[in-house]
Order: sequence, then C-alpha cells, then structure tokens
Amino acid sequence: MRIFDPHIHMTSRTTDDYEAMYAAGVRAVVEPAFWLGQPRTNVGSFTDYFDSLIGWERFRAAQFGIAHHCTIALNPKEANDPRCTPVLDVLPRYLAKDGVVAVGEVGYDSMTPEEDEAFARQLELAVRHDLPALVHTPHRDKAAGTARTLDLVRESGLPPERVLVDHLNETTVRAVADSGCWLGFSIYPDTKMDEDRMVAILREYGTDRVLVNSAADWGRSDPLKTHRTGLAMLAAGFEESEVDKVLWHNPVEFYGQSGRLVLDDTTAADTFAGNSVLRGERP
Amino acid sequence: MTFRLGFGTNGFANHRLDDALAVIADLGYTGVALTLDHHHLDPFAPDLSRQVEKLATRLDRLDLGVVVETGARFLLDPWRKHHPTLVSDAQEVRVDFLLRAVDIAAGLGADCVSFWSGVVPAGVDEDEAWQRMRSGVTAVLEGAAERGVPIALEPEPGMLVERLDQALRLREELGSPALLGITLDVGHCVAVEPRDAADCVRLAGDLLLNVQLDDMLPGVHEHLEFGEGELDLAATLAALDEIGYTGLAAVELPRHSHAAPDVARRALGALREASSKPVAEHPWLAEAERTVRADPVSIRTFFPAVGRAVGRQPLHGASDPLGVVHGTVDDRARTTLLVALAATTGPDELAAELLSLYRFGDDAERRGVLRALASVGDKAPAAGVDLVKDALRSNDTRLVAAALGPFAARHLDDHTWRHGVLKCLFLGIPLAAVAGLDRRVDAELERMVAAYADERRAAGRAVPQDALDLLRSET
Repeated sequence: MRIFDPHIHMTSRTTDDYEAMYAAGVRAVVEPAFWLGQPRTNVGSFTDYFDSLIGWERFRAAQFGIAHHCTIALNPKEANDPRCTPVLDVLPRYLAKDGVVAVGEVGYDSMTPEEDEAFARQLELAVRHDLPALVHTPHRDKAAGTARTLDLVRESGLPPERVLVDHLNETTVRAVADSGCWLGFSIYPDTKMDEDRMVAILREYGTDRVLVNSAADWGRSDPLKTHRTGLAMLAAGFEESEVDKVLWHNPVEFYGQSGRLVLDDTTAADTFAGNSVLRGERP
Repeated sequence: MTFRLGFGTNGFANHRLDDALAVIADLGYTGVALTLDHHHLDPFAPDLSRQVEKLATRLDRLDLGVVVETGARFLLDPWRKHHPTLVSDAQEVRVDFLLRAVDIAAGLGADCVSFWSGVVPAGVDEDEAWQRMRSGVTAVLEGAAERGVPIALEPEPGMLVERLDQALRLREELGSPALLGITLDVGHCVAVEPRDAADCVRLAGDLLLNVQLDDMLPGVHEHLEFGEGELDLAATLAALDEIGYTGLAAVELPRHSHAAPDVARRALGALREASSKPVAEHPWLAEAERTVRADPVSIRTFFPAVGRAVGRQPLHGASDPLGVVHGTVDDRARTTLLVALAATTGPDELAAELLSLYRFGDDAERRGVLRALASVGDKAPAAGVDLVKDALRSNDTRLVAAALGPFAARHLDDHTWRHGVLKCLFLGIPLAAVAGLDRRVDAELERMVAAYADERRAAGRAVPQDALDLLRSET
C-alpha cells in the first residue's frame, strides 16, 4: 500500500512515528502550518516555524525515506490575535519557496470578522501565487462554518478544483461534494471520522476528489490512520486500485497543481545545516 | 552542438597511437587532435606514407575527425624543447616540419594543421622576430596551398604571438590568406587574454579552424582539468554553438598522460554537462531581472523560486559535484537578480533587502545572497559582513564555503577570516573555496593551522592535505 498523507503535523511527532509510517507504506506527506497548542505571541514565532517546515522537518522526513512538503498560512485560530496577524505581510516570501504546495490551513475557527479578513486575504494570496488552498473547517458549528467557507471560496475567484476542504464528516460532505472542491477527511481515534464511517462515505460518494488524512499532531492522534483506512477499504471490498487512488493519486493530483511536488527525489542529505538527526559520533 | 568533441593524443603520450584512438573513440569522443611525435606517426619515419594511409583508414573506421598538431616537445631537437621555431635562426627546420605536417594532414583528410610561433630567442628583437614569423608563415602557406590544407595559428602564452589580437594582426598583414586561420586554446584565454574565452571565440568567428579545450587560472599557463581553473566552460561551448563552429574542439591536457583514460572520461562528462546547461540567459531569469529592475520588491518572490526555474546543477560538476567551491546554476542566477536590484536601489535599501532575503531564505537562498556579495556587497559592506559572520557561525558546509568568497577576502577582519579558513579545514571544505587565500594568509593563520595539524597528529588522525599544502607553501 502506497500512502501519501495529505495532512499531518510531523513537527509534533517522533522518529518512531516516521519509522512506523514508512513501514506502513507512507512515502509522502504534506504538513500544513497550524497552531502549536501553545499560542504564539509574535511574527518571529511564525517565521521560525515556517523555516522549520521548509527546512529542518523536510530534512528529518527525508532521513526516513518520506518526501515532505508543506502548506503555509496564518491559521484561523491565531487570525484573531493582533500580535499574530502581521505575519500576513511576510507570507508572500514563504509562498514562493520550494516545498510549499498550497496556502493553508486557512478557514474558520469561531467565524469572527478577523477570521473572515484573514481567510479572504489568504485565498487572494493563493490566486496570486498560483497555489491551491487547504481549508480547515471548524470543530464547532461545523455545518454552518462549512457553508460560509464555500461562500467565501466562491467569492475569492479561486477555482473550486484548487481548493481542498478538510475535516469533513457526514453532515458536511454533501455541500462540499456539490461545490466542486476536493473533500478531505481526517481519521481520528475518537473525534472527527473513523475508518468504518469513512468507508461508508466512500461507498456513497465514490473515490473522486476524496483525500484521507491522519491529521496527526500534538494531540491524541494516530499517524497510521491512513493505512488503517486503506485496510478497512480492502476489507469492505474496494479494489487495490481504488485504495491507491484515495491514498496516493488523489493527493498527488491535488497538490500537484502547485507544480512543486517532488516525489522522485529519494536521495537524502546526511545533514541539515551541518546537523544530523542521528545521535552520537558521525560516520 | 554544431561541432565535434575530441581529445588530444598528446594527453595519451604513454599509449600506442592505435590504443589511444580506440580509448578516445570508445569513451564517446568523435575527434582527435593528433600531435605528430616520434612515437605517434613520426613524420620522419621511412614508411610514413604507408602509416598515413593505415591511420586514415583507422580514423575512418572509428569515425574520428582529426586535426594535425605540431607542438611536440623534442621532435626536432632532442636537447631543446620546441626548438627550432618559426622565429629561430634555423627557421627552415620548422618550416620543413610544418610542410610535412601539411602533407600528412592532406593524407588523413584532416581539418587543418595547427601551429604556433615560438619564443623570441635571446638577442633577437621583437621586430626581427615578427619578420621571421611573416616569412615562415608565408613559406608554409605555399605548401598548404599546393595541398589545399588550411593552417591554423595558435596564440601561445610566452611566445611571439601569444594573444588572439596578435594572430589576427599577423593574418591581416599577410593579406588575409584564405588558408590561414586560428587555433584557439580556451584555457589560454583565461591565462593571458583580456577577454573571456567565449568572447575570444566570437572575435575569431569564421577564422576559427581548431579549438583546444582545457581549464586554466588567470596568469598561469598550466593546462588543468575542467573545474580546476576559472574557465566558464558552459559559456564557452555555447559561444562555439553561437558562431556555428563546425570543426573540432579537442581536450588539451598534455601533462595528464599518466592517467589518460580516467582524465578523458572525466573531461567528456564535464563537457556533456556543460553543454546541457542553460547558459544563454534563461527566459525566466531574463523576465525576472527586468521585473526586479522595474519593481525592486518583486525580488522577494523571485528569489525563492530561482532553483525551480533555472535548475540547481553545480557550475563545475566534474571537479565540484556539490557546488561547494564554485557554486551552482541557481547561485549564479540569484547573483543576476541581486545585481539588477543593486542597480535600482540605494545602499540602505539594498542592505535591508540583502538582510531580509538572507533572514527569510532557505539554505539555497542564503548561499545565493552570500555568493552575490562578490558582485553587490561593496555597495552594502556592513550588511555583507554581518551576513558572512552569520554564515560562518553555521555548520553548513556550502554556506561556510559561499561566505568566504571575494567579498570576505576584501572586507572581513583578519580574526574572523582566519577562523573561517580554519573552520573550512574542520568541516572538510576545500580551501579552493576561499577567495584570496594566497594574498591574505599570514603568520597568525599559519600558526593556527600548524597547531591544528599538531592536534590532529597528537590524536593519531590524518592532517587534511589542504592544511599541509598551506603550511608548505608558506615556509
């Protein structure tokens, strides 16, 4: 099983996770920029994080045979903090970088006017930088938040086929499927979606434009949920080619629209800026 | 490529001629520059005509184009190298030899006979030497006309005709004979010409009958493998294409015979790589450069995208596969963008943008800023020094190497510069990456390097060759 996890926060994960993911068939990931649990208090905190997403984390993933890309944005939660919003002014520098395959995560958390503003500005950046956008849908009031998201996408001028609306469930899938946007599902141990509900959605809606991710981060989550979903699909009678479509081809097709996806480069450098992930004496 | 790539047999001096041709052809060359010598088609051999006939068949079978070279060292005089020449007292010996070479070239169907002038002998003044040169060439041209074989004068460092403009002047004085053309050694261009090899190629234009390929350092007449000197090979090959050159361009490494097959293999690799490079300004880069001139802020989004647009290959891949010493294609393109920026902004704005591009840059962008300091840093020296110091604090070998370029040689204080050099030794960065090393090395650096060598020895570890070389050259 060949797996591309289109949404996972590897910065918060261990090298054990990388090893287990590789063993399960994960060969590529996209790490969206998001909040860190601990709130940020200044722009420098963002840029150091962005630097890590295009630098150190990319290198770390490569050590385990996994191609790492990222999306860059001001996340919806921190869009409400005036100490953080000036980061919008430095985003253009980062959106031009190697390894950046979309603007994201953008979207709504509490649906405030500040979030409206940041969301709209960043969709505009996606248009200007010729990048797709990864949109987070809120945990609370999800259906209303998703509807408002789709309205804003329509107004932005970004074509729906360049937008991935994530964290969907049974209540939001229909509206997004009808919009022409891509459909993202995060499979979690307790919240969001689980493997069997996912299989049921795939049965009903088919495999076109559907992406499955683990969204694993610093909270209770499981980076192997993509693999488990693949197994659940097979157990439910899906063909291997359909599993490959959902777990590999669809994310490649969506993020490939950036023109910056590099999946054939498996040769990893031994060090990043002179530092290695290996401990002890260097060879 | 409009021309043939070849290798000179004088770089295979320890091979039988037959074997040399086979190796050269097997490696993938399609031509050979044949230096007539006592062991390689001796022009004074009693059975010369039979040998020429045999060789012509062999070249034909191997599909090798050929030019005849006449620079053998001790063919005419076993005691004196290259003697006699066209400017010697015994000029007629050289003329006779060149006429034999013309005959041989006719028999082989060679493109031309290549020849040089000669070192002006003691006691002969420049004018006299020039007159001798004119009469000698005139005599050879008569024979050449009989056989219909072009002859190609090669400017050779240290000789009467050592630069391209002198060769062109001589030709003009002789009435621009149709059969008199030019041989250009592109390494010589680096060593002694006022213009680069690509411009020499353009200057010679249609008169170019023969090209010798090698690398060289400015002011030093020593034939080097590609990447060891300062030749811009890609630009040179592109210039040959540009003028529609259709002759032979053969690698000229007469002092590398001891390892000829490996040297020839490496050279061909470097030639292939260089010829596939985007040399003529990349259309994306040209557009980005124009945009930056009109709207300086646009450099912030062009700068990160350079590698995706123009590639990331090393400039001298054969000798410097990671681009640590000479940099990469994207490094060079980033210099182009920063030169455009520097042309349209004041020193303060330039300094601020250099700092930001570096601050927000990934490793490739930072290298790009550091390498561009050689071209734009003098306009913002304080910012440049800050960036160099930042890079020298890192452990990233390519960053450290890029930091110690010509800008650091000009502006970095002695203490920081010395520690930068020492860091190179620690990190295994070739000292070839350090600009101005010979000029800036001082007693304190020697002391530091000697102490480092002692420490390595005390620990039972090898001392890097670069450290030994540095200590040796200074004692």
